[in-house]
Amino acid sequence: MSVPRLGLLGAGAVLALAACGPAPSDPARQLGPNPYLPEQHEYLMPPMALSKPGGWAPEQTPTVAPGLRIQALATGLKNPRRILVLPNGDLLVAEPQPPDPPHPKRPKDFVMNWVEAKTHPPGKAPNDIVLLRDANGDGVPETKTVFLKGLNAPFGMALVGGDLYVADTDGVLRFPYTTGETQVTAPGVMLTDLPQGPIDHHWTKDLTASPDGSKLYAGVGSNSNITENGIGAEKDRAAIWEIDRASGAHRLFATGLRNPNGLTFEPSTGVLWAVINERDELGPDLVPDYMTSVKDGGFYGWPYSYWGQHVDPRVKPQRPDLVAKATVPDYGLSSHVAPLGMVFSNTATALPPAWRSGAFVGEHGSWNRKQFNGYKVVYVPFANGRPAGKPVDVVTGFIGKDGKAHGRPVGVAIDAHGGLLIADDIGGTVWRVTAAQ
Amino acid sequence: MAYETPRSTASVAGHPIHPMLVPIPIACYLGALVTDIVYANTAQFQWTNFSQWLLLVGIIFTVLAAIAGAIDVIGEPRIRSIPALWVHAIGNVTVLILAIFNSFVHTHDAYTSVVPTGLTLSVITVLILLVTGWLGGELVFRHRVGMKPEDRL
Repeated sequence: MSVPRLGLLGAGAVLALAACGPAPSDPARQLGPNPYLPEQHEYLMPPMALSKPGGWAPEQTPTVAPGLRIQALATGLKNPRRILVLPNGDLLVAEPQPPDPPHPKRPKDFVMNWVEAKTHPPGKAPNDIVLLRDANGDGVPETKTVFLKGLNAPFGMALVGGDLYVADTDGVLRFPYTTGETQVTAPGVMLTDLPQGPIDHHWTKDLTASPDGSKLYAGVGSNSNITENGIGAEKDRAAIWEIDRASGAHRLFATGLRNPNGLTFEPSTGVLWAVINERDELGPDLVPDYMTSVKDGGFYGWPYSYWGQHVDPRVKPQRPDLVAKATVPDYGLSSHVAPLGMVFSNTATALPPAWRSGAFVGEHGSWNRKQFNGYKVVYVPFANGRPAGKPVDVVTGFIGKDGKAHGRPVGVAIDAHGGLLIADDIGGTVWRVTAAQ
Repeated sequence: MAYETPRSTASVAGHPIHPMLVPIPIACYLGALVTDIVYANTAQFQWTNFSQWLLLVGIIFTVLAAIAGAIDVIGEPRIRSIPALWVHAIGNVTVLILAIFNSFVHTHDAYTSVVPTGLTLSVITVLILLVTGWLGGELVFRHRVGMKPEDRL
């Protein structure tokens, strides 16, 4: 046998070995407060299934649970990620263009950038916020305007009185807003800078206001999967910031939250909740993403540990002192579902009563396992301000059996008429779910 | 009359290509061992990134060197009759396989890109290279593979 042929054989053997690992388990075992946590396994080549951006055919919609109906409220949007419902019922939809990926620093970065490019449609989003007005509530907006432009990857939005706050990837901006206006031309004021580039690995900065309006809460995701860019790059990241609305001063409200989004106050208890994207590349069923109440001063493990005290061997130096005090999250959503949006459903009066006492979660969908997970909107029933029961699929059918994603859900909101709104970034659509009638 | 030496088929103007290429992977694998050791001791991420680039470049030039070497082996029966050749070749194919394997291990994020498996593989790679490199010298300096035929008085 010739030398090159031997080499090829060897490379083939390596690739075959790369596929080894534990068999994937049923994601249902990881739902709720006590998810199944298998052994860690680091692969030579992590298990992957990449959804190809597909888009929706005319009249094609996602599938809804029995008794519900879904309609496209707006189509033709570019990367719609977040929806804010204004007091008069107008909708603001953020269309962020993600920051350019950083220069590759290692061979793997070329592969990861390719993965990112492959799963997203070509073309740039306009980095603006559009306004949709559906005054009569028939699900067809009469007005669509560009409300704010020239933003920098806008994601979170919050309104307190006449102040509209937009979380760009590099900071929280304040704009004056008067009810009824369809366009803001006044320049924004930077209230607080947020950690940004040059890496800005998790660039989405979610935002919400405290019930009394005095504080803002901003989600700032980690700058890596698991500190591969150095712990120095993680300063003030993987945290929820509390920002004083008057002064712009901030403190870290909670830490160890790898990529917190869907920041929302639970209406009956006034407690802040969020959904968290956990770390990748420890296997198809590690680590479960989760939703959790967020305690003031709480540390939730990242990067040192997950789900309490399960230490991640990839992090050096370790911090046993922090691991010891890591809070166990409240509720597992199963691994790699990528929850990016959450809203409580108490005002969802356009849906049957069974859907009105819980939270809707938008699951953007997996890449780090062979069987797709997520790619749907689920409903988690609540009782007494805590999850009570297993999640129920509300909207599915975002991904086909061929691995083509027609769309992928991100932000969720309840509109002024009580319908559930879903921002579908890949599908460029805002969906509206109501009772079937 | 010329004293015949085993001829190098893959050569440019009388200079065999294989020995021109082999310093690169040797330096890369040795370098990757050094950067792995530094990373294992400091956990400063740039050192594992260095290791990853060194391994990748090392692999590319190992393949090129293997191709040039294989052409020499195919083109000259007298090279094939040297027993040390086969230990040299099989040893370096092993190096290539280990380096590819090591390269995938190094794609792990952060500390486990190096400790313990990556560093172990880097050590084994360099140990094998000590033997195969020595045998490469054996082929050239003792068996005169690719040397200019000498005129005998």
